[in-house]
Order: sequence, then C-alpha cells, then structure tokens
Amino acid sequence: MTFLSPLFLFGLLAAAIPIAIHLIRKEKPPKMVFSTLRFLKTTSKKLILFQQIQQWLLLLLRAAVISLLVFAFARPLLDSSISRLVEGEPESVVILIDASMSMRYGDRFDEARDAALDTINGLSAGDEIGVIAFSNAALGVQELTTDLDTARSFVSALEQPSFDATRYMPTLRLADDMLAVARHESKRVQLISDYQANALADDDSGWQLSPGVSFSGVDVGEGASRNLYLSDVRSPTQLIESRSEYGVLARVRSAGTVHVDEADVRLMIDGQEQGRARVSLQDTSEQVVRLPVSFSEPGAHRGEIRIGPDDFALDNTFYFTLDVIPKIRVLLVNGEPSSNWFEDEAHWFSLAIASSEESAFVVNQIATAAVTAELLTQTDVVVLLNAGSDFNSTQGRALQGFVEEGGSMLIAASDKVQASGFNQLLGGLSPAQLGNPSLLGAGDYLMVADMDRRHPVLFPLEGEWNVRFTGYWYTQPVADASVLMEFDNGVPALLERQVGAGRVLLFTSSLDTEWNNLPLQSLYLPFLHEAVRYLAQVGTKDRAYQIGDVIDLTELADSAADLGISNAAGNSIALDGESMLYSASELGFIEVSSPARNEVFAVNSAPEESMLARVAVSAVQDAVTNSDTMPIQSERVRTAELVAEREGSQRLWWWIIVLTMLLVLAETRIANTTYR
Amino acid sequence: MAANTNFIDPSVLASLDNLELRARVVVEGFLSGLHKSPHRGFSVEFTDYRHYHQGDDMRHVDWKLYARSDKFYIKQYEDETNVRCFVVLDSSASMGYSSGGMSKLEYGRTLASALAYFIMKQRDAVGLITFDEKVRDYIPALCRQPHLIRILRALSALTPGTTTDVVKPLSDLAMNLNRKSLVILISDMLDDEQRILKTLQSLRAMGNDVIVFQVMDDAELNFKFHEATEFIDSETHESYITSPAAVRDAYLKNLNAFLDDCRKQCQSNGIDYCLLNTSKPLDAALSSYIFRRAKSF
Repeated sequence: MTFLSPLFLFGLLAAAIPIAIHLIRKEKPPKMVFSTLRFLKTTSKKLILFQQIQQWLLLLLRAAVISLLVFAFARPLLDSSISRLVEGEPESVVILIDASMSMRYGDRFDEARDAALDTINGLSAGDEIGVIAFSNAALGVQELTTDLDTARSFVSALEQPSFDATRYMPTLRLADDMLAVARHESKRVQLISDYQANALADDDSGWQLSPGVSFSGVDVGEGASRNLYLSDVRSPTQLIESRSEYGVLARVRSAGTVHVDEADVRLMIDGQEQGRARVSLQDTSEQVVRLPVSFSEPGAHRGEIRIGPDDFALDNTFYFTLDVIPKIRVLLVNGEPSSNWFEDEAHWFSLAIASSEESAFVVNQIATAAVTAELLTQTDVVVLLNAGSDFNSTQGRALQGFVEEGGSMLIAASDKVQASGFNQLLGGLSPAQLGNPSLLGAGDYLMVADMDRRHPVLFPLEGEWNVRFTGYWYTQPVADASVLMEFDNGVPALLERQVGAGRVLLFTSSLDTEWNNLPLQSLYLPFLHEAVRYLAQVGTKDRAYQIGDVIDLTELADSAADLGISNAAGNSIALDGESMLYSASELGFIEVSSPARNEVFAVNSAPEESMLARVAVSAVQDAVTNSDTMPIQSERVRTAELVAEREGSQRLWWWIIVLTMLLVLAETRIANTTYR
Repeated sequence: MAANTNFIDPSVLASLDNLELRARVVVEGFLSGLHKSPHRGFSVEFTDYRHYHQGDDMRHVDWKLYARSDKFYIKQYEDETNVRCFVVLDSSASMGYSSGGMSKLEYGRTLASALAYFIMKQRDAVGLITFDEKVRDYIPALCRQPHLIRILRALSALTPGTTTDVVKPLSDLAMNLNRKSLVILISDMLDDEQRILKTLQSLRAMGNDVIVFQVMDDAELNFKFHEATEFIDSETHESYITSPAAVRDAYLKNLNAFLDDCRKQCQSNGIDYCLLNTSKPLDAALSSYIFRRAKSF
C-alpha cells in the first residue's frame, strides 16, 4: 500500500488527542453527595470490568476514528509499484543513458544506471524496453525487447562513460526510429542525462519525436559543480630550431555551476614543467595566459597544459604535440636578375619568405645556369622566377628527377619565359603548356574570379583577392593538372600537378609588380609562405586532436598489421579491422609505431563537454515532443493520472470514511452507556 | 389525578417556613378531600361548663342545666383517648439528601408535623422521637395544644445528623411503651433493614400498631443521572466513580430488591408500609394513617 498524500499521515499525531483527554480528564468527574452507595457498590464486578473495557474500547474507537480519517485524507492506494499502474496499458519505452564525458563527474553515471534500472523495474510483464547508451552518437544499443532481464543486464554491463561530447538529437532520432516499430501504442522516450546545455546547442533543425511518442527526463546532474577547463590552447605547429622562444597561449575558463576564482596553469614539455602561472578569474569567466617555451633539439615533443584545482579532473589537462623542424631550403632560380630591386622579382620573393632570421625558410638564390643536380639534392623547394626556357637538357633532366623523387617546384612565368623552350624542357613537370603571353592595355586588368578555397595553399588565406593582373600567360592544362585559381576571363591563374612523389605549382603571372600588383597586397606574403610550405611537404599533422576525431594513419604504413598503437597508459589499442583510420577514443597521447617511423598524437576532450551549464528537462521536453502528442506528459504527470484513475477505481478513502462513520456510531452508542 | 389537585405540591410546601402552617395546610387540604367521617368521637370525661358561644355544637349543650338556669352551657370534657401515637423520625445524614426539591428530612419533617397536627386534631396523644445514630429528641405522647407546639418546635430545629441506627430508638421505645400505641416510623430505612424489621416486628408483637413511611427521593428511586459522576456516600463519605447509564440497571435492580424486601417483610408482620416519593404530595401518607387509624380504633 502506498499513500498519494503522505504528508497527511502526520495527522496520526492527532490520535494522541483522545488519549491525552482521557488522561487529563481521568480524575475529574463531578462530585455528588448521594444518600447511599450500597446499591451502587453491589453492582457486579463483571459490570465494572465491562465498564473499564468499554472505556478502553471507547478510547480505541476515538483514536481509530481519527487515524482512519487521516488515512482517508492520505489517499491510500493498493499496489505501490508504478509499474502496476502502467500494467493496464502496456508501454514501449526506450531509455537513453548519457555516457558522455561529463557523466564522469562525481557519481552521475552510477545514478543514471540506477535510474534506468528503476525504470526497468517499474515496468510490467509485456512492456517493451530498449536501451541506448550514447554520447554524441549511440555507443551501445539494446533493441526493443519484452525481456526485462536482458535490458537489466545491458544496463548493468555499462561500464565507464566515454570521453565524447554530448548530442541528444542523433540518439533521440534513433530512439524514435526504434519506437516506430514498437508493438505497443503507448510509446515513451526516457532521457537519463546530466542535461548539459550544449547537448542541444548546435541543433536548429526543429526535429521532434513522432506524434504519440512522449518524453520523460531523469536529471542526474543536479547539484553544484566546480570545473575549470581549457577552452583553447594555441601552440606553434612547427617550431623552427633556431628560434629562441615561442609562446603557448592557454585560455582558462570556469564552466561549472559554481564559479572558480583562482587557477594554477602549468606548462609541461616532455613531462618537465616549463612554466607556471596563476590566473585570477574573479572578475571574468575566462582568462588567457601565455607560457613561454623553447627547444634546443629538433624533433617531436609532447606538451601539456595543466590547470586546477577543481572537482572535475578529466578536462584539466590539454595535450598537444610540437614538431621542431629545420628550416625549409629554397633554391631560388632568378631568370631576370636586376640591380634595381624594384624590378628584381627575386627580391620581392626573398623579402616575403626570408626577411628575418626567424624565418622558416633558407633561400639560395642562383642564376639559371647554376642549377645542378648536386645543388638540387640540398634543396627542398625549387622556385623558378621568370625562368624555365633557358635550361639545358641536363638541367631539365635534373629538375625532372628532383621532382619525381619528392622535390617540389614553384614556377612563376612572366615576360622572360619563352613558351616553346619552356614547354620542351619542363613539359613533363609543368601543370600546363604555355600558350601566348597576354599583356592588357592601360587601365585594363583581370581579377581572380574563382579559386579552390579548400586547397591547403588557399585555405588559410582569408583575405580578398583584389589583385589586378595586367599580364598573364594563356595556358593549356595537362591532363593530370588541377586548376586552383582562375582569372575572370576563365584563364587559369594557378595550377598544380603531381609528378612522381613531388608537386609543381604554376603561377601564370609574375611574382613582382611587372604583370600585377600582388606583391603590394597583404596576401602576397602568406600566399608564398603557404605555397612553399605546401610544396616542401612538411607534415601537416594536427598538433592536437579531439575525442572522436579520425586520425589517418595511411602515411605511416601500408597495412594495419604494420601499426602498433598504444594509449597513454601503454595499453595496446586495436584498429577496427583493416582500417587505417583510428577514431580517437581516449584522452592523452596516442603512440603509433610503424616500420617507417613513430608518431605521437595528442587527444583532448571536446571543450563543450567541459561546460557543465545545464538545461531544464522541461526545455528538452518542449523542444523534442511533438505537438500532436496529446497530452504532452512527463512521467510524473502521466503517473499521477494513472494513480488517480487507480485511486478512483479503488476508492479506499470512501470505504475508510464509511468505516469511520460506523465507528463514530459505535462510539456514540458506547459513550452513552459509559461514563466516558 | 383530580383528587390530587387539592393537595399542595411538596415544592410549594417547602416554601412555607412555618412548620405549623405547613402542617395545617397539609391536613386541611387533605381533610377537605375526604368524605365526612362516620366516626363521631370517643369517650370523654366531663370537666367543666362554659358559656355557649355562637358556633358551638348544639349537641354539647347541657339541656338539663338550661332547664334549670335558662342559660345555655356547653359541657367541657377532658379528652380521654385510647390512642397514643409516636412519630419516629429518622434524621440521619442520608435523610438530608435532595435531588432538587424537598429533602427527605424536610419531607419527613413535614409529614411528621402534619401527622402530629392531625393526631392532635383527632384528640389523640402524640409523641415524637427523632434519631440518627442515637436518639436526639424524645417527646412523650400527650394530647394538649401546647404539646403540639413543642413537637413542631423540635421538628423545626431538626437538622441532618450522621449515620443511621433505627434499631436503638425503636428498642428504647418498645421498652417504654406500657400501653398499646401507634408507632409511625418515618425513615429511608437505609440501615440494616433486617434488624429494623426485626425490631418493628417485636413492636408489633407487643400489640402496637406500626406504620412505616419509607421516604425516598425521586433521584434515588429512578437514578436519572447522565454524566459520569463521583458519588459520595452522605454517611460514610465513601466515593465511587461511575457512569450512571452503565450502572442504572444494576442499581435499580438492587434498590427494588431492597424496597420489595422491606414491603414484603412489613406486610408479613402486619406492619403498614408506605413508600413515599419526596416529589409527590403527602396525601398518600395521610391516607395510609387514616386507614390504619380507622382499622385499629
């Protein structure tokens, strides 16, 4: 038996009132002098005993009347289990258990499992139950089944949450799909989560559950939370060995429901502390701190930014890798040297990529005739400025071999280039055959009209290409070339061709101010930097990955069997079949070894998962519940209605009132025959 | 009850402080309701003459003397009665009980005074004995007008006493009676009724006539109490808490057994018995006396 208004049970204290009155009034009946007691005292002892019994019976009746009234107001109900209430209407339920990283806070995940088991235990035989453990996607699915034990086993077998971020919509869609084939008309989705606000942040699709599918929520994230996290860390991707000092920027943010005022920030390189800072967050929710770092040796290094203290340690460390590399060697072949620096194309180029000692490039400027095979072996990138038609055949073969073996070349063709010689000597390398040069009249110019912004060279360039071209080459791209940029008359401006292991970029205009004003634009320097870096084929590995990111390992080995992967604890990680893609699922440094080389990848949690700001269950319910699902009921409301229905059929209170009235009558009858 | 309309309600009677007046009201009221008595008087002894006054009974005119003196003289007699009455009144504490109207003692006092008045009016000798646990007043039986005053004065001064001992005064009385007498006991009999009746039986055996007026309050007879009450015995001061509703039946059963026992024993011994309810007029008591008086004398 359960009570729907249990607070009324406090009224049972009122049952003490008759007892108190009995005790208080016990010795205070009115006194009367009577002529004699001889006829009273001779009444039988049985009568006296019966009278005493009557008094106790009267007391019990009065206490019982009060108690029964209290019970009636407390609305007793047989069959306490909610499942029994639902029993009359079989239900199909899909339980969604949040297994994202934030569920590792405290014992939230244990609470979620308990809540899921409570829900399952509350179901009746014949009900359908499905379970989905999820983060940003489903992690494990128990299909709809009427075998409640199977569902219990599935829930009990859930171990630790993942390190993934939280996304409700994909899993809600999956649950909705599961319920589409459910056998019962009554369908419900129960979401057990800590209800992070970010779980719905990116969703603007307006998707809702199917009509007839109700939503209920169990919030296990209640209570205060203190959390610091690194919303962003900026470290140089590649450090040049000669540069003395770099800075690592860390953005520290307080993201719990309780603000954290102070934080310690430490920079660790290869396990050794390199710097430390104290951050005050008293007046702001986040703070950026710069920690200096320097390296004496080239190679791969492991970096960590550690913050604290707070109540959620998982996101207190940001992992990243640093590659300290030597400078890129650039062989600059100048086809039109000039004493006037303004007219010297090599001057503009060198000024752009190697104007300071901290430049990542080393430029070796030579004349066309000085190109030799030996010189090319000491070069990463060859840049032909207004050259290409003056090489002899030996030089041509040397360049061909250089590119095919992995070298790269940037060609900027302008007025000194002769198309026939160029096409003959470099035809096997160039992305296009040169046609005729085109020089526009005064006041006339071309603009860049189209480009492949996803190309690694152009992707980082965010500015507008407001360059005016007055001279250019008509070209005929070769079959395996790609046009990366076009003028507004449709003529290719930038082309690329893969030759052997090397790459060749062809810019169909000059890199000085003779045919365009590009050197005067802000894009000039980054364009050349990105182009040369791209051509040098410096590894473009991300310095840090996030949980869920896919790391392409195809460059490290030919097959998965050749790869050895281990996590930060040194435990081996197996790839999925023959796939050479590893989906990051653990925090920290992931070491990948292959016959060619070893590589280290840094994996961090998604920053939004560290933001423990919460959203109300009702807000999620309103967002996902279809307006055609009538009525929109939470579990509590629905249960209350079922309880009311069951209470109405039982009407225990009515019988209690009837019994109470009978007791009152009995009390009246007895009270009239006894003195109290 | 048309006959009762001539009698004064005890509650009204109680408002009369003067006991003589009260006795007169009772007796005159009672007599006005009776038929004229066939009894004409009894033997008298001549003592003197006196002048006739208007209104004197012509039967008492001495015609011989009128013939000699031509004057009317009335013959005066000294009463000579064959009856001596003793009114024995219980004045114990239990007689002081009242449920609202006249107390039993007040009722008994009124009855005693009325009887004395009535007996004196019949020119019988009347005496008075009051008692509780001992005899408090003893007035011998005489038949003179000042004697009535003495009796009434003794009754007026009477207050409830302590415990009851009916046997002792009756025994004393029996020892002192040398002539046939009428003994009128006015009591609630709340004593050892067997001893009382045994004493009355001995009085009766000595040739005396005995009338027992058992005076009871209406509350005693019906026990119409409702609330739980601590009853305190008026004589022993014992207390007893009970609910009247719970014990009423048992009480009435015990009381009626007691009353029946008293009545039956009296009847079996030739003792007139009359149960009086203090809420009822006194006519029953006087009727009982008249009946007994006529039967005996």
